[in-house]
Amino acid sequence: MTYVIAQPCVDLKDRTCVDECPVDCIYEGERMLYIHPDECVDCGACEPVCPAEAIFFEDDVPDEWADYTQANADFFAKLGSPGGATKVGKVADDPQWIKDLPPQEHD
Amino acid sequence: MTVTPEKPIKQVDRVIIRFAGDSGDGMQLTGDRFTQQTAVFGNDLATFPSFPAEIRSPQGTIPGVSSFQVHFASHDILTPGDHPDVLVAMNPAALKANVADLRPGAVIIVDSHEFTARNLSKAGYASNPLEDDSLARFQVHPVDLTGMTIEAVKDFGLTRKEASRSKNMFALGLVSWLYGRPIESTIDHLTRKFAAKPNLRDANVAAFKAGYHFGETTEVFAVSYEVKPAPAPKGRYRNITGNLALSYGLLTAGRLADLPVFLGAYPITPASDILHELSKHKDFGVTTFQAEDEIAAIGAALGASYAGHLGVTSTSGPGMTLKSEALGLAVMLELPLVVVDVQRGGPSTGLPTKTEQADLLQAMFGRNGEAPLPVIAPQSPADCFDAAIEAVRIAVTFRTPVVLLSDGYLANGSEPWRLPDVKSLPKIDPNFATGPNHTTADGAEEFWPYLRDAETLARPWAPPGTPGLEHRIGGLEKSDGRGNISYDPANHEHMVRTRQAKVDRIAETLPEVTVDDPSGRARLLVIGWGSTYGPIGAGVRRVRKRGLDVAQVHLRHLNPFPRNLGEILARYDKVVVPEMNLGQLALLLRAKYLVDAESRTRVRGTPFGAEEMEGILLDALADLGVAETSHRSTDTRVTEEALR
Amino acid sequence: MTSRIDLGLPTPGTAGVPTLPDGQVLTGKDFTSDQEVRWCPGCGDYAVLKAVQGFLPQLGLRRENIVFVSGIGCSSRFPYYLDTYGMHSIHGRAPAIATGIATAREDLLVWVVTGDGDALSIGGNHLVHALRRNVNMTILLFNNRIYGLTKGQYSPTSETGKVTKSTPLGSVDQPVNPVSLALGAEATFVARTIDSDRKHLTRVLSAAAAHRGTSLVEIYQNCPIFNDGAFDALKDNDRKADAVIPLEHGEQIRFGPPGEDGRGTKVLVRDEVTGGVRAAFAADVPDEAILVHDAHNPDPTTAFAISRLTDTGSLDQTPIGIFRQVVRPTYDDQVRAQASTRRDLDDLQALIDGGDVWTVEEDR
Repeated sequence: MTYVIAQPCVDLKDRTCVDECPVDCIYEGERMLYIHPDECVDCGACEPVCPAEAIFFEDDVPDEWADYTQANADFFAKLGSPGGATKVGKVADDPQWIKDLPPQEHD
Repeated sequence: MTVTPEKPIKQVDRVIIRFAGDSGDGMQLTGDRFTQQTAVFGNDLATFPSFPAEIRSPQGTIPGVSSFQVHFASHDILTPGDHPDVLVAMNPAALKANVADLRPGAVIIVDSHEFTARNLSKAGYASNPLEDDSLARFQVHPVDLTGMTIEAVKDFGLTRKEASRSKNMFALGLVSWLYGRPIESTIDHLTRKFAAKPNLRDANVAAFKAGYHFGETTEVFAVSYEVKPAPAPKGRYRNITGNLALSYGLLTAGRLADLPVFLGAYPITPASDILHELSKHKDFGVTTFQAEDEIAAIGAALGASYAGHLGVTSTSGPGMTLKSEALGLAVMLELPLVVVDVQRGGPSTGLPTKTEQADLLQAMFGRNGEAPLPVIAPQSPADCFDAAIEAVRIAVTFRTPVVLLSDGYLANGSEPWRLPDVKSLPKIDPNFATGPNHTTADGAEEFWPYLRDAETLARPWAPPGTPGLEHRIGGLEKSDGRGNISYDPANHEHMVRTRQAKVDRIAETLPEVTVDDPSGRARLLVIGWGSTYGPIGAGVRRVRKRGLDVAQVHLRHLNPFPRNLGEILARYDKVVVPEMNLGQLALLLRAKYLVDAESRTRVRGTPFGAEEMEGILLDALADLGVAETSHRSTDTRVTEEALR
Repeated sequence: MTSRIDLGLPTPGTAGVPTLPDGQVLTGKDFTSDQEVRWCPGCGDYAVLKAVQGFLPQLGLRRENIVFVSGIGCSSRFPYYLDTYGMHSIHGRAPAIATGIATAREDLLVWVVTGDGDALSIGGNHLVHALRRNVNMTILLFNNRIYGLTKGQYSPTSETGKVTKSTPLGSVDQPVNPVSLALGAEATFVARTIDSDRKHLTRVLSAAAAHRGTSLVEIYQNCPIFNDGAFDALKDNDRKADAVIPLEHGEQIRFGPPGEDGRGTKVLVRDEVTGGVRAAFAADVPDEAILVHDAHNPDPTTAFAISRLTDTGSLDQTPIGIFRQVVRPTYDDQVRAQASTRRDLDDLQALIDGGDVWTVEEDR
């Protein structure tokens, strides 16, 4: 089990969750943030702090955003498990369908 | 060594001898040897060792006196006796500390060598009692035990101090002659004990023989005595202390259950013998763990039980207190565990070497929360063997910690033990869980660690290593059946009541307690538990000998009580409960059965005397209008002779 | 046992524990129980749990032969979340209970999960004696430098001056250094790692499990509720190079910002004045003066000296890694060697019949 970031993060990337994560497993893509499914320790620190309510426990991802679970995994297809996001920095490796999303507006 | 007695031999039915000396004088060994000789001879016997908590108090002082009393008879006896017929006193302090207990006319043998001005002063004598008339009521025999011992062993190249150490064997030889004891076993014993030190071996044997021959030849003793063997059922016997019997019981129970025994213990008087004894028997699958403290001792034992061994921890009162929290965990985990509490005088450090029965309520209730557990008690030294096996049977069958309450008197006291045929003893079935015990609605097989046996309410015992039964247990409240953590109010209520019901249900598997009421006319019932069995039994015999009726019940099972106990208690007009505490069993009986059980208590660190018990019973009968009030005399020798 | 050690080859801690059948492989999921994990969001315990669940399959051992024993405290919930055998026992006593399990059963891999309050305060005695006995088990000491479960009192590892509910004016007692304590208690394996460094944590767990004897692993573990940021100096990218002194057996002890050669610019050297060790700039000392870490040194003196470099205050500097890893016969192996045979009821009868026995031929 792991936590998953979904659509509300796209084009927002608030990053509060990144500061909160004790194991530095939230990576930055071009358009959104991604939680590393293997590096995540399921501690739940990120979920309540997200101002956009973009983070869900894997089982609780709303049906409309179900594809984001896979997106969070696919993002790391090339990256593997670097063991920490800070040293990796931003990686413009979003899955194609994320890249193709229309620009998202936020309040 | 064969002896043709030339002096007259007088027949007596029973004798009480007390050996007393400095704690370094070897009185325990002397008493033990005399006991062995007596046992081999075939008398019934009971012993009472008494020694200070200090290893070596200042020499020659009253606090340093160590003694060993042995009561032997040509008939069945129950106690080590109240008033010695013979006192062997190795110094003035030993005389002073013990003389008040002697019956009038008793024989006193003293080592005259030690009656120096300095030793008399250390013992607090203003004048030499051998020279004034303070001992006029007794037959006093001053004998130069030290001098004659040194003379007897002069050929063995020992220093004077070493040589004089054998004087206890000289005294033993003398008393052995006086009572016609067979001496071969002691010579064998000394030969074995000092095998590595031939000069000490030879000196001790020589001193022992010299004492014996001194008795034969001296004019000091005109007659010797004979106490004929006591009636006994056919069988093989040995003399045994409570701690040794208890250790053998644990060993045997381990073999009967086919479980390795794991003893976790921290040294404590008077329980350490159990640790020592079991440590000798690793080849019987016994592991002994001398822990860093009492808590670790029970913790490791509980860990071993979890791992599928027979976990045992042995201790005494203060250690029992320290184990409370872990005992609560054992109640919660519902794992087999035997906790041996060899009770001693309390509270706190109390009287480490003295006996008491004041841990009963601690055993019953000394834990947080509702934490019921079975409590059982042996009634005599040899009975410790059976009680230990019973404790293991209950612990294993019902998956529960069991407290076994021995005490200092049982631990160190001894009596003849008819050897059991261990193969004929009933096996104990650990009945380990081997597979899932629950099928879910969708047909999945699961293991539920708290799914109980319908009859015993015992939960399955699934030690690690059993595939498919991985489970987690702990001190938190668990859900019924599945055993997961549960804070549900109804579940907690159910589990609390179920743990109690499991213990209560043990009574169904116990035989009904029998009441000893030969005439069937008794209106007075005396009820006791543990080591008071001997004194109560002796008191009851005396009262009956007077033509009075008294009924007796003695409890092995203190929790749960035997299922017919309430009915028995209700049958009598008066119930008295003698205990070596301030009325702990009485409190339980009154609470549970609403019966006016009356306490009769002593807390002196020594067992009740038979005469004292007789007085208690007579007073109780007087309350009923059946007997006259207390007419105890100080000189009870004649009646005693008839009644024991 | 002794014979094994005489060969000069350390017996692994897992020897005697049954392995999986050929070809069978377990995953972290196999070690995950059905119980919902109930630590606070962000708790370092999650990271350790994940690391342990990820590491256990690597051992290739049967799940049913692994036992986790814990005491009381947040971290002591650990066994509930692992699908092995487990016992959540009472406060401070887990090492004692585990000693019983490990001594009784050679075929079990025994783990103790404990915290700074559990192991160093109420259970300090048991920890010391487990270490000196060298019972074959691994003790994971979660050190968050605070009492979490009881809601935030200072612990035996809290820095002096700690302001908590029970010390509103600041604590006045000196904290204990668990690594120094363990080394003083004759421990044969002592390591320190950090919850957030999964790789290092896993490496240390692996070495600890492989060690036959008591392995003490101190895990710096963040409590986000009552002591958040206690280990920030060791995690912060700007500070950690100076704060973490990595210990690698056989290698020079270097730390600090990397120099041109990519190696740390600070080193440990012997302190001629105190007889201990001290930090220095690599540039200031000859290469041969730089301390080479020797975890296998039978003499714990240097390991102890290194442990003293731990800043017990705000933790601005601490050695991390395996301080000591030496071979010594274990308590449980030696005890089992003494109890090698199992005699039967006939032998027992002979024992009971020993001593001075007499026979009454007929009832009399």
